[in-house]
Amino acid sequence: MKASQKRSAKLRIGALGVITAAAVALSGCAAGAPQNDSGKKTLNAIFLPADWGKVVQEKLAPEYEKETGVKVNVELVGRDAIHEKMATLFAGQDSSYDIFNVDYNWIPEFGKGGHLVPLDNALQDKEDFLPLSLKVATWDNKLLGIPQTVHPATLWYNGALYGDQTMKDQYQAETGNALGVPKTMDEWLTQVKFFNGKTFNGQKLSGWAAQAAKGFGNVHTWLSFAYSFGCKPFNADFTKSILTTPECIGATERWSEMMMYMPAGANDFTYDSVTTAAQQGSIATAIQWSWGQFATDNPSASKTIGDWQMTTIPTGPTGLSSAHLAEWVISVSKYSKNTEEATKFAVWLESKKNDVLQASNGGGDPVRVSSYSDPTLTEQKLEGNGAARFRRLPVTLEAMKTAQPRPFFPGEETWETALSTELSAISLGQRGVQDGLSRANEAIDKNLSQ
Amino acid sequence: MSPGLLFLAAISLYPTLYSLVVSFMRWNLSSGEAARFAGLDNFVGLLTDGLFWNSVRVTLVFVFFSVLIELVLTFGLALLFFRGFPGDKLLRALIMMPMLCAPVVVGLLARFSLEPTYGIVNQLMRSIGLPTTEFLGNVDLALPTLIAIDVWQWSPFLFLILLAAMQGLPEEVIEASKIDGASWPRIIWHQFLPLLRYPILVGVLLRLIDSFRVYDIVYMTTRGGPVDATSTMSWQIYDVGFRAFNISYAAAFSWLLLLLVLLAVNSLIRRMVARS
Repeated sequence: MKASQKRSAKLRIGALGVITAAAVALSGCAAGAPQNDSGKKTLNAIFLPADWGKVVQEKLAPEYEKETGVKVNVELVGRDAIHEKMATLFAGQDSSYDIFNVDYNWIPEFGKGGHLVPLDNALQDKEDFLPLSLKVATWDNKLLGIPQTVHPATLWYNGALYGDQTMKDQYQAETGNALGVPKTMDEWLTQVKFFNGKTFNGQKLSGWAAQAAKGFGNVHTWLSFAYSFGCKPFNADFTKSILTTPECIGATERWSEMMMYMPAGANDFTYDSVTTAAQQGSIATAIQWSWGQFATDNPSASKTIGDWQMTTIPTGPTGLSSAHLAEWVISVSKYSKNTEEATKFAVWLESKKNDVLQASNGGGDPVRVSSYSDPTLTEQKLEGNGAARFRRLPVTLEAMKTAQPRPFFPGEETWETALSTELSAISLGQRGVQDGLSRANEAIDKNLSQ
Repeated sequence: MSPGLLFLAAISLYPTLYSLVVSFMRWNLSSGEAARFAGLDNFVGLLTDGLFWNSVRVTLVFVFFSVLIELVLTFGLALLFFRGFPGDKLLRALIMMPMLCAPVVVGLLARFSLEPTYGIVNQLMRSIGLPTTEFLGNVDLALPTLIAIDVWQWSPFLFLILLAAMQGLPEEVIEASKIDGASWPRIIWHQFLPLLRYPILVGVLLRLIDSFRVYDIVYMTTRGGPVDATSTMSWQIYDVGFRAFNISYAAAFSWLLLLLVLLAVNSLIRRMVARS
């Protein structure tokens, strides 16, 4: 090949490389472009692939486009991946995405970094929102997310089992008490022991089930015990872990004792494992997030349609009932080039009408007080069953009065990791309660000092 | 510099060197604060961190047993297949199948299959009278279970290399040994192993490097648990880097992992070369 031909070939390859690189770069940048090909304004959003994300993707975003002409691309991304994407995009001040579905415990983390747009002025009717739902969307006196769904932990009990006369008689004979919905942790423990190993409707029962896998699972379940026993994991300004107080030790001992009455493999139980066990009717009670009741009423997957009832978490020794709070909010990226449009969409998503519409479509429990008495929800019945489809709502509302969030500070995810490892060791009998909690204290304090 | 080298430098060399720079900094991705120089703090912190040493131990156990079992197993399998038999092609294709699955899919499959109550493995075990076993939820069983999953998925890779190498062996050497009255074990020990030294070395090195990086299966099955029984170095790096967003600590962690891999690979190569 002649030298000139070689040069020409090199040039062509070089040009191709430049064009390819430019195309890749442009396709990346296009995600943040304010207008799409048809001239419509476009927003890019990331939501959780839970029912509330799907409702936004399939129903609400298309409706918003019809109403306003603004197109909203909704990507459904797993919880961990949302957290990772947010941090990496924010670090690069990337404008590709305008809206994020945010687990509220990330609000302090991203709020401290100044990555989220304050939405105080955008939300005109704050008084209709559940006060706690707004509190955990606020950091440094700025509202950094609009609540989309709440689902506090609740105590689930199989109503059919609790209403069974044979079971009632046996319980009376064995314990001397009448079988009723448990109000205290002690009463619940007695019932769990009683039900464990019994057979009902051909299913061998376990006393209860809850998320217990290492990770956020065991921490979230433990928190409902901790709060109801009056345990505070931190000092007031989150500078010291105080997990070895008598309250925390008492809560952990009870949680650990209760683990003996969970199904085989419970140490690996996730939210889905608990749901499956409830659907199969193989557990008597459970600690599970409120909105999960939908799954047990699903005719294609459940043998217990209409059976599962709810009550608030039983009270601990101090007479306190306090659930761990789960909630997702909608936040706007500070680096979005369309913050105004994105804010409008977030506010529209949680209008009164849409709060009810989302709940009605399985999108989590409402965040507005008024939705809890909306006939669209309160009067809905399960098809062919007659049970109220939203029978959980009064319990959710009650639980929201005393529910408590995860430790609300920027290092919460790291805190969960350190604590969950020790809780895993305690529940597997690898460590005693005091030893495990002391080790957790050490690990958490070490993280805090970093 | 040619465009190819420039491209390679941009996508490989720059990030690698950048991660080295980051490892000497203090930088949390979500804090909104700029990175600042921290000297050797991250490395000193790691060397005094119990979680780091636990992850080194877990990784070494995982790598040693998975590669050893894979090597012994696939050597035996290759011996079985290299002369061929009726139906061997179909069997060979079946053996290859796990390798074709994405590790994430394998992890998910393992999670569902090994689930104590509804998983097919436990159902089968119960049907023959064996007790329900928590393969992934038991501190003592979780790591061996992950090793078994890795062996299932990646043995075909070594099998492929060893089989190809065996089929390439000079037939006359084997025939001559047979005529001399050598038994099969002697032929394998004195002929096969020396002649296959380099294919074995290449296969083992590739598996070794890959095993050190194990992450997908851990993510999909145990997430480092129960307790920290399956917390490998790659898992810990992910946990530190993408949950705590302590990017500089994770970068230092990655460099120590790289160092460990280099040490292991280098020592293996030296031994093989010394013996040859």
